[in-house]
Amino acid sequence: MQEFSPSTLLVLVPLLPLVGAILTVMLGRTLGAKAHLPAIAGIAAAAAVAVMLLAATARDVSPAHGPHAEAVRPVEMISTLWKWASFDAAYTPPEGSPATDARLTPRDLAASQDVRSFSIPVALRLDPLTATMLTIITCVGLLVAIYSTGYMHDDPGYPRFFALVAMFVFSMSMLVAASNFLLVYVFWEAVGACSYLLIGFWFTKPEAARAAKKAFLVNRVGDFGLAIAVFLLWMSYGTLDFHDTISPDGVIMPGILGQTRLADAAGYAGGAVGTAICLLLLLAACGKSAQLPLHVWLPDAMEGPTPASALIHAATMVTAGIYLITRSAPLFAACPGALTMVSIVGATTALVAALIGTVQNDLKRVLAYSTISQLGYMFASLGTGTLLGFTAAIFHLLTHACFKALLFLGAGSVMHAMGGVIDMRRFGGLRRVMPITAATFFVGAAALAGVAPFAGFFSKDEILAALHAKGWPAAHGDHHAMAVAGGPFHLAAFSTDATHATATAPAVGLDALDRPETWQILFWMSLVTAGLTAFYTFRAVFMTFTGPTRVPEGAHGHGGHDGHESYESPASMTWPLMILAVPSALVGWLLFSTNWLAHFLSATPSLTAPTVAATATPHVFHMDLAIQGTLAAAIGIVIAAIGHLGRRSDGPQLERFLGPLQTLFANKFYFDQIYSVFIVRPLEALALVAALFDRYVIDGTVDAIAGLPVALGGIVRRSQSGLLQRYALAGVMGVLAIVVLLAWQLRG
Amino acid sequence: MTPLPFAPLSSGPLLAGAVLATVASLWLLLPNGRDNASIRWLGSLLGLAALAAFIAAGRRLGGLGEEAVFLIVSLVAVISAAATIVSRSPVYAAIWFALSLAGVAGVLLVLGAQFLGVATIVVYAGAILVMFLFVLMLAQPAGLAPYDRVSNEPFLSALAGAVLLGVLSLSIGRLSAGPATCCQPPSRTAGSPSTASQSTTTPSAAAGEPAPAAGDTASVPAAGMTATAVDPLAENHVARLGGELFGRHLVAVEAAGVLLLVALIGAIAVVSRGEAALAGDTTPTRSAAGRSATR
Amino acid sequence: MNTVQSLPLLQNALTVGAILFSLGLVGILTRRNLIVMFLAAEMMLQGISVSLVAWSRYHGDWGGHVLVIFVLTVAACEAAVALVFVLQAFSRTGRLDAAAWQSLREANVARTVDHELPSIDTVPPRFPTLAPAGVLPPADENEPLQREHV
Repeated sequence: MQEFSPSTLLVLVPLLPLVGAILTVMLGRTLGAKAHLPAIAGIAAAAAVAVMLLAATARDVSPAHGPHAEAVRPVEMISTLWKWASFDAAYTPPEGSPATDARLTPRDLAASQDVRSFSIPVALRLDPLTATMLTIITCVGLLVAIYSTGYMHDDPGYPRFFALVAMFVFSMSMLVAASNFLLVYVFWEAVGACSYLLIGFWFTKPEAARAAKKAFLVNRVGDFGLAIAVFLLWMSYGTLDFHDTISPDGVIMPGILGQTRLADAAGYAGGAVGTAICLLLLLAACGKSAQLPLHVWLPDAMEGPTPASALIHAATMVTAGIYLITRSAPLFAACPGALTMVSIVGATTALVAALIGTVQNDLKRVLAYSTISQLGYMFASLGTGTLLGFTAAIFHLLTHACFKALLFLGAGSVMHAMGGVIDMRRFGGLRRVMPITAATFFVGAAALAGVAPFAGFFSKDEILAALHAKGWPAAHGDHHAMAVAGGPFHLAAFSTDATHATATAPAVGLDALDRPETWQILFWMSLVTAGLTAFYTFRAVFMTFTGPTRVPEGAHGHGGHDGHESYESPASMTWPLMILAVPSALVGWLLFSTNWLAHFLSATPSLTAPTVAATATPHVFHMDLAIQGTLAAAIGIVIAAIGHLGRRSDGPQLERFLGPLQTLFANKFYFDQIYSVFIVRPLEALALVAALFDRYVIDGTVDAIAGLPVALGGIVRRSQSGLLQRYALAGVMGVLAIVVLLAWQLRG
Repeated sequence: MTPLPFAPLSSGPLLAGAVLATVASLWLLLPNGRDNASIRWLGSLLGLAALAAFIAAGRRLGGLGEEAVFLIVSLVAVISAAATIVSRSPVYAAIWFALSLAGVAGVLLVLGAQFLGVATIVVYAGAILVMFLFVLMLAQPAGLAPYDRVSNEPFLSALAGAVLLGVLSLSIGRLSAGPATCCQPPSRTAGSPSTASQSTTTPSAAAGEPAPAAGDTASVPAAGMTATAVDPLAENHVARLGGELFGRHLVAVEAAGVLLLVALIGAIAVVSRGEAALAGDTTPTRSAAGRSATR
Repeated sequence: MNTVQSLPLLQNALTVGAILFSLGLVGILTRRNLIVMFLAAEMMLQGISVSLVAWSRYHGDWGGHVLVIFVLTVAACEAAVALVFVLQAFSRTGRLDAAAWQSLREANVARTVDHELPSIDTVPPRFPTLAPAGVLPPADENEPLQREHV
């Protein structure tokens, strides 16, 4: 640690997996069954470095001083590697046009009137948020990679898989470490590409190819939003850097999330432009994190290998949206309407996905909808705009990464053992033949359902608390006088216009949504979702692991030591399960009881913005909320037990009570059909028109032009008799004509 | 130099008649599938008539002896050349061609090109033609092949050749006939070609109209020379030709040597490769070739 | 006699050259036998040579002579290579016919067919022979002693 500067270590985190990926690509065929070695070595080294960085960052964060901590000093470190692009005078504002929003400070206004230069430094940053994300990414990635050596071991694409996983770890590390919106965009696309390649890993399977295409196309919508947001950011702020830069002549150029701008209460654009930026960022996050209405790709993405699903589509890549919004917290804080939209989108997604998840019979799809639902939770928490909300979202992100990776790997273990069968109705009672998988899966399920001591309970509780605080500010105001005094329920008061207009005049547009009633509805939606989560999780557990032992025909077990056959997966797969089960069980309690993570994250520069930091509340355990959450979870578990515990999984289902609702849920609220009718079909019709136009008009013109020489050639072709002397005669005739003509002209 | 006694070659009716007679003669004489002796006689007569027209249109040379020699050798060259192209049998054609070469060599000698005359005989008649005959003996089937008894487009070809000949003759005639057809009346009192050529150039330049290019370029160099000067090429002819060839044109000689080498190698390569290709080829053509070659 | 710059001599020699060139051209265009075509081509070269030498004499310049020497050289090369090709062509088709290669025509163009030729009714020429002397060598009855017609 002492030998290496943090900046060197920071570069190593993405670099090592990249080297691993390149080595795997180059040596993959040579290494054969050992092709995982470079990738795993790279990711393991990166994980070690990431933990070291986390520790180093944690040392820099000042310790908390009691319940009413001072505003935490932001901790960040920038390491600029090189300058990718640099253009002077990239933009000159037109004369006399209001180039910027009127809410900008005079200094920004002055800066915006200047000629702007455009430069993209390849800069990596280290702050608590990045350190946390890096640790999650590399550690989960390492466990998944180890697990994959067992899961993928006979696959012909074995080296390709590990190259892609290492490539993904590189891209994701760069995404969370980049200190520039354009770099974020680049690696936003890179993780999307890795996701596309891993969903379509078995590209000979038509469903996989189709799912990969769908994921790619749906993500394009979100990426489009991010691109426009980046353009708007540059137009509004004149830079894309997160951090402050110092120009050669010593002038500090404030970055978007730099200390200079953060310290300035009026540093962020509100109004129409600010809201547009935030909503576009939200659109991007919705695409990557599978939120309504762009969630449709994630369930289909389960066609990819299960370890890839665990790593990318449960633990890490789908949390990129959470990361992006957290990183952009000051931007959102300036636009309360947009923030409320984040919560509304999140809570709605959570509820809808949970409802769909209750009737799924495919184990991986249950987990996929549960992922969407949990991501919705995180969005709902982010949308509160309070420090508690942001830290709770990251907290839930962390615990969710652990237990959802565990659940997916467990599902993969089941699938591996059952010969590729994942339909829960075709097997049951697996706890007898797969004891380790069953036990660890139960831990994960308990964490997901929010059962008391497990990780999910605490993080979910935090989220509910954040929502509750917005819905019933008075109830929390008793404890947190400061928060009330600051007016956390009207964040508009902190917005950049810095007026109290919203307090006196009715808010217009989106901002009108930011009312306690809205948050109350959102809270109840989240609570119902908690119950539903517990129900579908334990429904899956009961269907899979309890009841009479049944295995599908395709599965082939091996002799167990206790007489009957064992289907347990190899050690390379069970060990990661057991390792992941530990944090799934403990990390919630550990982090909640010490409040370490929340305090650590609050030193993230983005979260030290006055608008966010002012909403800091003391760390308390809300017993009432905990009881409500536990009650909801208990009801869900009990209903699941009534319906499925100890029964044959292919027997009658609870859904029969739902009637038409069951049809609605089973058809996923007809999202795909609606998209098909309103988007896909019209586009296909347009494409058909374009294709016809291309074929008959453009190609017709081209063919006609090409046909002209052919037709002319057809006339001349008759003269090609193959008789040499006829050709010679024709040539002589031509020469003669010229000679006679010349002689005629030159006659005396 | 004596004054020119005849009308220039460009006199229209004579030339037109010569061209027409040439066309008819060639058309009749060329192989046409019918071996009709009377037609060939007619063609020969027409050919002789055409030749006579050309002779009549020609110019008197300085002395009777030279004129007679030139007339004889050129007649040999031209008549045997015509016989070459109208002979049905390629062997006869080759022998006629040899005779034509002898005539050409004679013309060259008359023109003072001693070395070239001898070289033509040696290289062409001695080497190239013998090679042709060898090939003919290898490849020619017995009797007249059908393709030797017919011609390809005889009329059009004869017409083209004769028209070309007519145009060339017209141009040759205009080498000195320029003033005659131009605005200036012929004032050829002086026998010297230098004055004649001067009078050739001046009026056309004065008239400002495009002068015949051939006449112009031919006349100008002759302007500064005197009629009485002896042939500068005659003394120590071969030695000076060799000096010229290996002095001024040494690089070209080397290039020609390389060309000969390449042609030699190329010919051998093509033969060997062609035989290798034919060795695996058992089509009937091979046996037909072998049969005709051994016959 | 050996006067230079004789315009009539030039003109007459050029006329001879032109006649040779034209006859050679007609020969190349009409005769179907590849060998005769090459003879005609050589004849055109002869016409050119005569013209060059005539000009050379007229101008008192060596250029024409030198050029004719190169013409001779190139003609030798050309003859060697061309005869090889003629032989190759002959060994493929068994004919020296330039029209034997009309299979190189366009696909949808009809083949040009020679008209029916009447048979040769002329008596084969008799070639002089030496009077037999000494013992007649034994001869194969089936093998013709000479060509019927060359």
